[in-house]
Amino acid sequence: MKFSRAFAITKRIFRGLRHDRRTLALIIIAPVLAMCIFGVAFSGDVTNVGVVIVNLDDGVVSKAIISNLSDETLDIRYMDNEQDAVAEVEGGDAWAAIVFPQDFSANVMAKLQDNSLAVDTAISVNADKSNVNIVTAVMRSVTDAMMATMSQAGVEIPISIDDSPVYGEGAEFIDFFVPGIMAFAVFLLTTLLTLLAFVGERTSGTLERLRASPMKESEIVAGYAMAFGIIGMFQASLLLIVGTLVFNIIIVGNPFLAYIIVALLAVVSVSLGILLSSAAKREAQAVQFLPLIILPTFLLSGIFWPIEAIPSILRPLSFLIPPTYGVEGMRSVMLRGWGLEHIWLQIVVLLAFALVFLAASVKSLQREKG
Amino acid sequence: MATSQNQPAVETRQLVKKFGFFTAVDRLNLRIESGETYGMLGPNGSGKTTTIKMLCGLLKITGGEAFVLSKKAGDPSVSPRIGYMPQETALYLDLTIHDNIRLFGEIYGMNRDDIEREEANLLRFIDLEEWRNAPISTLSGGMRHRVSLACSMLHNPELLFLDEPTVGVDPELRASFWDYFEALRKRGVTVIITTHYMDEAHHCSKVGLLRQGQLIAEGPPEEITRSAGAQSLEDAFLALARRGEQP
Repeated sequence: MKFSRAFAITKRIFRGLRHDRRTLALIIIAPVLAMCIFGVAFSGDVTNVGVVIVNLDDGVVSKAIISNLSDETLDIRYMDNEQDAVAEVEGGDAWAAIVFPQDFSANVMAKLQDNSLAVDTAISVNADKSNVNIVTAVMRSVTDAMMATMSQAGVEIPISIDDSPVYGEGAEFIDFFVPGIMAFAVFLLTTLLTLLAFVGERTSGTLERLRASPMKESEIVAGYAMAFGIIGMFQASLLLIVGTLVFNIIIVGNPFLAYIIVALLAVVSVSLGILLSSAAKREAQAVQFLPLIILPTFLLSGIFWPIEAIPSILRPLSFLIPPTYGVEGMRSVMLRGWGLEHIWLQIVVLLAFALVFLAASVKSLQREKG
Repeated sequence: MATSQNQPAVETRQLVKKFGFFTAVDRLNLRIESGETYGMLGPNGSGKTTTIKMLCGLLKITGGEAFVLSKKAGDPSVSPRIGYMPQETALYLDLTIHDNIRLFGEIYGMNRDDIEREEANLLRFIDLEEWRNAPISTLSGGMRHRVSLACSMLHNPELLFLDEPTVGVDPELRASFWDYFEALRKRGVTVIITTHYMDEAHHCSKVGLLRQGQLIAEGPPEEITRSAGAQSLEDAFLALARRGEQP
């Protein structure tokens, strides 16, 4: 293999981008846009949930709990009777009807004196549980208000949690999410661009012209891999800059290791794009492969939820998808600050994927000599 | 630059190419001498392009043998010495003329100065000097064809395979193409051209008429016309084809 010929292909890809503003925009804008949209949309906070409160009690405890309910999470309206409030939920005009029974405060006070008393101290929450995220937010809001009220009244539970994070102190969802979107963007865009570029090489006849020249198949693949490895690292830099400046994401590890992971993932993606391109005769057919790339990556590689949250029957599939290792490796570097001594396995697996896929894509090009 | 005069530039013996049950090239025997301008003539589907692709190492040979510049067809040592212009434009549309030429120059291991010099000569020849920095996507079909030809000749090959180089080219430019091929022939370059324009055959020192993958006649164009008792090469082709169909 001659490096100068492979590098000629790399240069050709970058020269082409100078005149192809649409692809250039896709490379620059798409990952940043994806990060911004997902970063804002998945901030993790549920707000302005419409609830109706019926307070049949005239004591201080219910009033204190109601005043401690989060204004940000809940959009509270008040009604006088339980039936009307439940009707609001049934009609879809509220997510929950929160009912404080008659003598609630008195019963609570009495029960604090004598816990064996059989009096009604339950807050009734009639919720529309069709949306798990919302009902969880409502229940958490009520529980927090109860705890806050008890604390204000000097009633403390003798158990507490000492929150001492080993990694990820102060991490929010966006910090968990950015390494994932970096891997996803690089994997998806690189596979897509290589797939389309190679279908174009075939249909336009340039691939044939290259193969009639001294250029070897391995040099073509290496040229593409170098170009998209560099593009992938550029995208990673862009995401790290925007993530740091806009979302104030946490980066405790060495960004250089994140670049290695991104570059390896880009090489895997290039090879995958070339392999898939051999099954597509036109650009339109190539685009049909998109769900094949997006869905497993999106659902199984741990971008949005941990692999531990994937049903155990599907979990082995996660380990067959290269981005899984990219996401895990980058998260470990950025949030845990791990070095090569900890993420060597992810690097080795990605390297193995890269080598196998590269060899397979070279082989598939060689096999095309019918 | 020129190949040895004793060795043929191209030789095939009983060359066969099958695609499944379809025989595209059928026991083809060719001997093309160095410095010849050889015209491979025949209608669409007669096996011209398939033959060229086998000679360039782009298709595997099903049967028989093929030698190019004294090496087996497809031998990696041959590719730097040949030039190939495919039927399709085969250029990067998102690159300029200059970028395309530079790319192929780099692939053939030419240094920057050589590329610049050859590029200037070729752009003058194809009359596109002013379009040097225009992306291919902005050029007309005929202009793209001219650039494609330039890319195949950039590295001064000993043997040039041109698959339908004059399709979509205006008559004036076609004439200049043939003048250039003649100039190449005088410099000792072997040029193998496929075409289905029978009237272009008189530019060739030798032609081979192909039909259904078989060589039905070969020789200087005037000789084929005369021996078939026809007025033109096209009539000769039709007469020879009819003779081949008779039981």
